[in-house]
Amino acid sequence: MACVYIPVQNSEEEVRVALDQLPRDASDILDILKAEQAPLDLWLIIAREYFKQGKVEQFRQILEEGSSPEIDEYYADVRYERIAILNALGVYYTYLGKIETKQREKEEHFILATQYYNKASRIDMHEPSTWVGKGQLLLAKGEVEQASSAFKIVLEADRDNVPALLGQACVEFNRGRYSDSLELYKRALQVHPSCPGAIRLGIGLCRYKLGQLGKARQAFQRALQLDPENVEALVALAVMDLQANEAAGIRKGMEKMQRAFEIYPYCAMALNYLANHFFFTGQHFLVEQLTETALAVTNHGPTKSHSYYNLARSYHSKGDYEKAGLYYMASVKEINKPHEFIFPYYGLGQVQLKLGDFRSALTNFEKVLEIYPDNCETLKALGHIYVQLGQIEKAQELLRKAAKIDPRDAQAFIDLGELLISSDTGAALDAFKTARTLLKKAGEEVPIEVLNNIGVIHFEKGEFESAHQSFKDALGDGIWLTLLDSKTKTNVIDASASMLQFKDMQLFHRFENDGNHVELPWNKVTVLFNLARLLEQIHDTVAASVLYRLILFKHQDYVDAYLRLAAIAKARNNLQLSIELVNEALKVNGKYPNALSMLGDLELKNDDWVKAKETFRAASDATDGKDSYATLSLGNWNYFAALRNEKRAPKLEATHLEKAKELYTRVIVQHTSNLYAANGAGVVLAEKGQFDVSKDLFTQVQEAASGSVFVQMPDVWINLAHVYFAQGNFALAMKMYQNCLRKFYYNTDAQILLYLARTHYEAEQWQDCKKSLLRAIHLAPSNYTLRFDAGVAMQKFSASTLQKTRRTADEVRSTVAELENAVRVFSHLSAASNLHLHGFDEKKINTHVEYCKHLLDAAKIHREAAEREEQQNRQRQEAARQAALAEEARRKAEEQKKYLLEKRKLEDEQKRLRQQEEHFQRVKEQWRSSTPASKRRERSENDDDEVGHSEKRRRKGGKRRKKDKSSRSHYETEYAEADMMDYREEPEDEDASMNYREPIGQMNDQDDDVEENANDRLAAAGLEDSDVDDEMAPSITAARRRRALSESDDDEPFERQLRDNTDELQDSDGELRENDHKSNGGAALDDD
Amino acid sequence: MKFAGLKSVENAHEESVWAVTWVPATETRPALLLTGSLDETVKLWRPDDMQLERTNTGHCLGVVSVAAHPSGIIAASASLDSFVRVFDVDTNASIATLEAPPSEVWQMQFDPKGTTLAVAGGGSASVKLWDTATWNLIATLSIPRPEGLKPTDKSSSKKFVLSVAWSPDGRRIACGSMDGTISVFDVTRAKFLHHLEGHFMPVRSLVYSPVDPRVLFSASDDTHVHMYDAEGKSLVTAMSGHASWVLSVDASPDGAAITTGSSDRTVKLWDLNMRAAMQSMTNHTDQVWGVSFRPLGGRVVSVSDDKSISLYEYS
Repeated sequence: MACVYIPVQNSEEEVRVALDQLPRDASDILDILKAEQAPLDLWLIIAREYFKQGKVEQFRQILEEGSSPEIDEYYADVRYERIAILNALGVYYTYLGKIETKQREKEEHFILATQYYNKASRIDMHEPSTWVGKGQLLLAKGEVEQASSAFKIVLEADRDNVPALLGQACVEFNRGRYSDSLELYKRALQVHPSCPGAIRLGIGLCRYKLGQLGKARQAFQRALQLDPENVEALVALAVMDLQANEAAGIRKGMEKMQRAFEIYPYCAMALNYLANHFFFTGQHFLVEQLTETALAVTNHGPTKSHSYYNLARSYHSKGDYEKAGLYYMASVKEINKPHEFIFPYYGLGQVQLKLGDFRSALTNFEKVLEIYPDNCETLKALGHIYVQLGQIEKAQELLRKAAKIDPRDAQAFIDLGELLISSDTGAALDAFKTARTLLKKAGEEVPIEVLNNIGVIHFEKGEFESAHQSFKDALGDGIWLTLLDSKTKTNVIDASASMLQFKDMQLFHRFENDGNHVELPWNKVTVLFNLARLLEQIHDTVAASVLYRLILFKHQDYVDAYLRLAAIAKARNNLQLSIELVNEALKVNGKYPNALSMLGDLELKNDDWVKAKETFRAASDATDGKDSYATLSLGNWNYFAALRNEKRAPKLEATHLEKAKELYTRVIVQHTSNLYAANGAGVVLAEKGQFDVSKDLFTQVQEAASGSVFVQMPDVWINLAHVYFAQGNFALAMKMYQNCLRKFYYNTDAQILLYLARTHYEAEQWQDCKKSLLRAIHLAPSNYTLRFDAGVAMQKFSASTLQKTRRTADEVRSTVAELENAVRVFSHLSAASNLHLHGFDEKKINTHVEYCKHLLDAAKIHREAAEREEQQNRQRQEAARQAALAEEARRKAEEQKKYLLEKRKLEDEQKRLRQQEEHFQRVKEQWRSSTPASKRRERSENDDDEVGHSEKRRRKGGKRRKKDKSSRSHYETEYAEADMMDYREEPEDEDASMNYREPIGQMNDQDDDVEENANDRLAAAGLEDSDVDDEMAPSITAARRRRALSESDDDEPFERQLRDNTDELQDSDGELRENDHKSNGGAALDDD
Repeated sequence: MKFAGLKSVENAHEESVWAVTWVPATETRPALLLTGSLDETVKLWRPDDMQLERTNTGHCLGVVSVAAHPSGIIAASASLDSFVRVFDVDTNASIATLEAPPSEVWQMQFDPKGTTLAVAGGGSASVKLWDTATWNLIATLSIPRPEGLKPTDKSSSKKFVLSVAWSPDGRRIACGSMDGTISVFDVTRAKFLHHLEGHFMPVRSLVYSPVDPRVLFSASDDTHVHMYDAEGKSLVTAMSGHASWVLSVDASPDGAAITTGSSDRTVKLWDLNMRAAMQSMTNHTDQVWGVSFRPLGGRVVSVSDDKSISLYEYS
């Protein structure tokens, strides 16, 4: 047992003090030391001994006593020992300062340490140990440069001063010059081979930093051999084990960490690593405890940052984003340069993203990206943020990069797909498909969302087969398969058919009773809805309705399913049921704008105008006017109202039109690409006669509307056709109508056929006009107006044929037949109007009947004449033919004769020559006296006769035509009377359209009340007459054109009649009762 | 159960073909086809080679309906001008001309015994029965007006009767109207029985199952085909699949299938056991106005707005 001997003053004796039996009270020892005036080195030894035994208080007491002024005085010449005592105190306070976490106490400790060192320096400026101490103090204070100069002072004097070497090594280490540091450590080891393990620790750290892991490990192990309790070495080895990243290594590492913790529970690094470990094992409580301790024991920035990071991560994983965010922030604050420790930035970014602070998240992720430019996760996160910030292009770029860097990262492709879905569906589809393939290859389950998205894109592109498959893949196994399976289908569907009620859920109850499990996981509802939507699109409405009902059976609040069922009912014209279903939806959510809009639509279909307007208003209000459908519907409402009023109040009309325009414009402002609003605006413009502008608008809308199955806009085709029609471009208008009819309506729309017929009518293609009308009648046989129109067309055809200067008997015959039909049609309509079957003006029909009858009489005469003429023609032709035949025969005979004669003459000449001249003369005379001359004369007479006859006949024909004319003028007067009758009724109309043509500038701004009243009046005035007619615009202008025409021509009767007819046809157009919304809407609802 | 296309005649008429029926075989000749068109003619065809046998004229406006007597000797054709012309199939000699107010003639069908011709009375909201011996009107089966409607109401046009069908036992007549209701009448008592509900759009074609006098099929503009228990007043099943109006429906003689023609330009074959469309023929390029099974089976014919006639083998 080590002892010290305190020499007793003035004697040879010594007091023996056993070092392991030092008294508890240091004063005892102090008394002895003072009393015996013991050498100062003894003081130091005893103090050190106390320190070693952990009796810090006694240590301090002895040293403080040993550095007191009286000691200084007494031992004034003992310099070294006094310095040593001061330095020991300095080191002690440096140490205290180092481990102290509270800033103020820390400062105080350092100040004390500085004082002791200064005092030591005053005793001897050049004492190296003081300098070393100062250096250490400065190091502890983090003033590396000053520390370095302190150490250098020592090393200049003695380049082998071990403590200075170590200090300088530390300085170099802190400066990051690890090889320099290593050199210094090595030198220290050479100078002092048996130095404590700490040096080897330093060497190990340097080598570690230099990447010489094997040698570093050796160094640490050596340090540990020398000092089995060397926590740093243990931790260092543990870290290295952990970083080996093998299961065994990690286990070994953790064991070491644990041992280090047991040896010294306040090593921040060990604590951090342990916390890290427990984080991964999910023991968050331990994580928090450990990190909190770690934070308490260290003020080393990076370590603290690590601790905060651990803590933040723990909270993050627990979902406490607020706290996690704060700790991440604290962690980030401790970091000088992001590249030292980037994880907290990432975590912070994540949390900020979660909390919706996109801009901050953006900066944090960007910092991460700076350091790891190819990190897919970061790229994806940034991409996501850019999406949120609306910078789609940038987001796409990032995600594309992510997908490119790791072409096997399904998530990246999914993200990319989701991003592209709104801009480039084709590319989105590719991305999703790639993701699907990757996931399948990896044997992972493809997320339902991805399959759903693939299905939706296929759906949108009209690739229904693929869409169907995709939805089915997404749905997987479930009750729906049973429902759609054709084997069980018969029962199911039969059962469902009995409840066209749609609301009936018995089917499912029965299904459950049959032992089947009716289940619908929440995450498959959307897919199921989409599948049903698809089935609807491919016209399997029955199956679709079963699926919608299944959704509602399980999720009564799924409003859209109600709306789709309502839409199906509406498409089947079951308005009552449709309204019920919409109301059902409104029960779930009374302010659901889609439901309200649909209800308004239905009310409109039911001719409930006032209610419809209120409903649209409500829909609009429910979304603060942001729901464009409701606004559009209101616009449409106003537009219809403007044209609907039979009484044609011009002011009201203007107001409504203006209001409609305003509403359309509002929608366009909100959604610049709203086709329906653009279409509406075009309609209003056309209504005002600005055809060129509206044509441009319609053309653009038409172009934009092609491409998606969800956008079906036949209206714009019709409107465009109307504009062409109004501009007199009949051929184009017809083509447009025909294409529209074929493309969108499977040729089933009688209304468009009517438009077409009207165009043919204007183009004076009577037969085509008639055929179109007959087709329309075939489609809509109960529409009597069409029959009226057909009658008018036939009448017009006949009249125009009779008007022709040249016509064949066949033509006239068919004219007569046509007129007979027309008369029949009109007289039947007249009879029917007695039964109030339709709203025709009886007088008008009778006028037509009368007119047709007269025309018929005339036509009959014409026919007779034409037939007679034909007969005569035939006779004449026959005569001419016979004459020609006779002539031919004669000529032939003559030629024959001539030939014979010549032949004979030749013979004569040859034979008889001049001798028989006389005989020849006789023969010649004989020839002359026979037929030719007289015959020729006869013939010419005959010709003359023929000419005269035909002349006469022509004259006769002329006369008869005159007679015709007079008789016709007789009809004219009669008809004029009829016209007068008509006119008496029509001025109103005229006025109305005149006013209507006037600029709407003078329109009064009526306030809502007035408008409300007006609307009531509208409703009262029989708004149930619902011809929704864009048609009106063209028809009016056409009428105008006609009018101009009839004004310029002098009163040519047929011209007048034509005009009358146009008015008539116009009227009949106006009388159509088809309730179709030609201008807008409709489709929008289906697009959800 | 399938269709196989046999032959098509393009431009069989100058205009849309709107009606078709089989004229049953007589002792002297096999079954023939009778078609009616917008071009105002009625044409008779030999179905083996689709050779034109004869063209009947005499109608004004389009021919909307043709019907053949079960004996195959006489047939009737009706046009938009509301005349019904009854003629001898082989000689084209006119037998009778039945006149009605305009739009009071639409589809026609002879009863299974051949004693009566039922004519869908269009705007008269009734079915007219004509005696085929005397050609006198023997009964008018009117659809009762819903109560509380004033005669001035315009609703009568909604009851416009488009289609008519005899039950195979000849005891019932069903007629379909513009508003989608189907009315069933007791023929012997000339009495209205009940409505069949479910359609809300025009019912353009009706046919009873040849094997079950209770089962009625209806084709409607709502794109659906309904199968009713016409006696029990209940809807048995609804079949969807057509993209547009279903214009015509006919049942196979064996009662196992029906065929439909639609505005969507297709002819579909439906398996009644599966309640599903087995096949969809797409050879027409415009609305298919008429489909008809040969009474003896084995053949189906369809006519269309595209002016063509198509013949299929049904097996």
